[in-house]
Amino acid sequence: MWALPAWDPATINIPATMGQALCLPGALCSNLFWHIQCVPLPSPTRPVAWPCYPCSLEGFSKLCPEATWLRRALSSAVTTGSLARTSRVLALSYPHVHDGVEILDAKTREKLCFLDKVEPHATIAEIKNLFTKSHPQWYPTRQSLRLDPKGKSLKDEDVLQKLPVGTTATLYFRDLGAQISWVTVFLTEYTGPLFIYLLFYFRVPFIYGHKYDFTSSRHTVVHLACICHSFHYIKRLLETLFVHRFSHGTMPLRNIFKNCTYYWGFAAWMAYYINHPLYTPPTYGAQQVKLALAIFVICQLGNFSIHMALRDLRPAGSKTRKIPYPTKNPFTWLFLLVSCPNYTYELGSWISFALMTQCLPVALFSLVGFTQMTIWAKGKHRSYLKEFRDYPPLRMPIIPFLL
Amino acid sequence: MAVAAATAASRGNGGGGGRAGAGEASGARKKKGPGPLATAYLVIYNVVMTAGWLVIAVGLVRAYLAKGSYHSLYYSIEKPLKFFQTGALLEILHCAIGIVPSSVVLTSFQVMSRVFLIWAVTHSVKEVQSEDSVLLFVIAWTITEIIRYSFYTFSLLNHLPYLIKWARYTLFIVLYPMGVSGELLTIYAALPFVRQAGLYSISLPNKYNFSFDYYAFLILIMISYIPLPQLYFHMIHQRRKVLSHTEEHKKFE
Repeated sequence: MWALPAWDPATINIPATMGQALCLPGALCSNLFWHIQCVPLPSPTRPVAWPCYPCSLEGFSKLCPEATWLRRALSSAVTTGSLARTSRVLALSYPHVHDGVEILDAKTREKLCFLDKVEPHATIAEIKNLFTKSHPQWYPTRQSLRLDPKGKSLKDEDVLQKLPVGTTATLYFRDLGAQISWVTVFLTEYTGPLFIYLLFYFRVPFIYGHKYDFTSSRHTVVHLACICHSFHYIKRLLETLFVHRFSHGTMPLRNIFKNCTYYWGFAAWMAYYINHPLYTPPTYGAQQVKLALAIFVICQLGNFSIHMALRDLRPAGSKTRKIPYPTKNPFTWLFLLVSCPNYTYELGSWISFALMTQCLPVALFSLVGFTQMTIWAKGKHRSYLKEFRDYPPLRMPIIPFLL
Repeated sequence: MAVAAATAASRGNGGGGGRAGAGEASGARKKKGPGPLATAYLVIYNVVMTAGWLVIAVGLVRAYLAKGSYHSLYYSIEKPLKFFQTGALLEILHCAIGIVPSSVVLTSFQVMSRVFLIWAVTHSVKEVQSEDSVLLFVIAWTITEIIRYSFYTFSLLNHLPYLIKWARYTLFIVLYPMGVSGELLTIYAALPFVRQAGLYSISLPNKYNFSFDYYAFLILIMISYIPLPQLYFHMIHQRRKVLSHTEEHKKFE
């Protein structure tokens, strides 16, 4: 327990029905920690106390999440009998004092580091930097710091003072493993397919029989497919460099092997058949190719429009999240029906490419991509719903009205 | 591979009992378990499967006694083998709907590899059915499955005889390599016939610009058996933990 400094108590009556918000005198609720001591009346016993998060100046209104916490804590105390409905609650507030931060290993509980002289308003990001000084192999992006060894990771923006910790803050550390930046991963995984497809297109030796080395296909659609495929990946590379704004800087290193295997593998598999000397052009000929090309171009433009719209939602360097809405660009009107129209357009691009080339491996690639994007879209949709009360109800995650 | 999968400590198919090794050794995990209706269904399922594999075991013995030799016994138990091994597909469903605390991906992988061997290799390539390697994996599977399903049955009823637990965690030492060898030899024996008949293969040119060489696919399958020794040694390590943990428990009783 903390050594309590001089305190200025006030009495709060627990309301008759716990559903009501507690009203605290304004002076008590400030941006500081406060500590409740319950002195059950009429027979005062040992005070029961809970540390808690700071609450807003509104006091215990419904907007303050700590109010719910407190309401629940108090009502369970009433249920268990340590408090009576007629108990009076004394509350005090005082500025939180820290005398240091200790960092323990989440698995072994071994003390890894003790940081003294940490400012109360220091952020987790700053603490991570301090920790790296004593353990340089664990750079900040590799650190996961949490209040509970099995709990959720603290965010970089969290402020030490606002965390429910004692005078010596105890944080648990988990090594997230070697990290690699998202930009690096994206650039690597997209450059591969671009290059690999061209190897097959130009029929580099040892892929097809020797008599086909460096020959060119006599089908127009094969040349068109090369242009589309290359355009798609060049677009992705440029977007990675100039458009996307990433929430996280890094991901675990092993992801690059997984992702590159997927992209490079499928690119090689598709390219092999499309550029094969025995390639069979689509059944419905130029009609089919033209239609597929039109859909492809529309979806590429759509996908790009969505990426630009998402970029404009978030200012440079920030990590804010807002609900995306349709803009003047007609391609963004898909936001009315779908949470992740970028995935919808991406799916459309690949289906049209499959139609254009009439190649089963492309269709299988589209299917696998669809499965993955659906999982991502559902996750994104769920987190939008959780974060925003007023999220448009008509929207589905990836396919309008269906999925 | 399929044998290893079935005896792998990480697979569960009933109560918390299936989650051997880490699950039992820790005990810190909250075991919610399936509800009473699901438990009843699972008990019935596991009893039926135990009975089924016993039928196969008895069938093998009877055929051996009747024929006087251990060659070509596959034909005598072909139907129940196909029926009960294919029935194991239900276990994927059990994981998917959550009445069994195992990973859907892991269980799918294990069951599908068994089903693949039964249908896509042994059934499809008639010439390998008289091979001795088939008997090798059928025996391994039969003994493993009888023990495994009775293990799950008893676990669900919260009354697991130590003998069954011991058997499950010990016999794999012999059955695993036996089963893997049988499977690999069978696939290897099937190769020339697959090549000859062009079985399940499609070549260019065709309308969908796709090709598939089943022969090459089978070779890839054989290559995928390579990481199995690692799993085998992991299971031996798990065995020491699980069986010594039980010993300690018995001391305190």
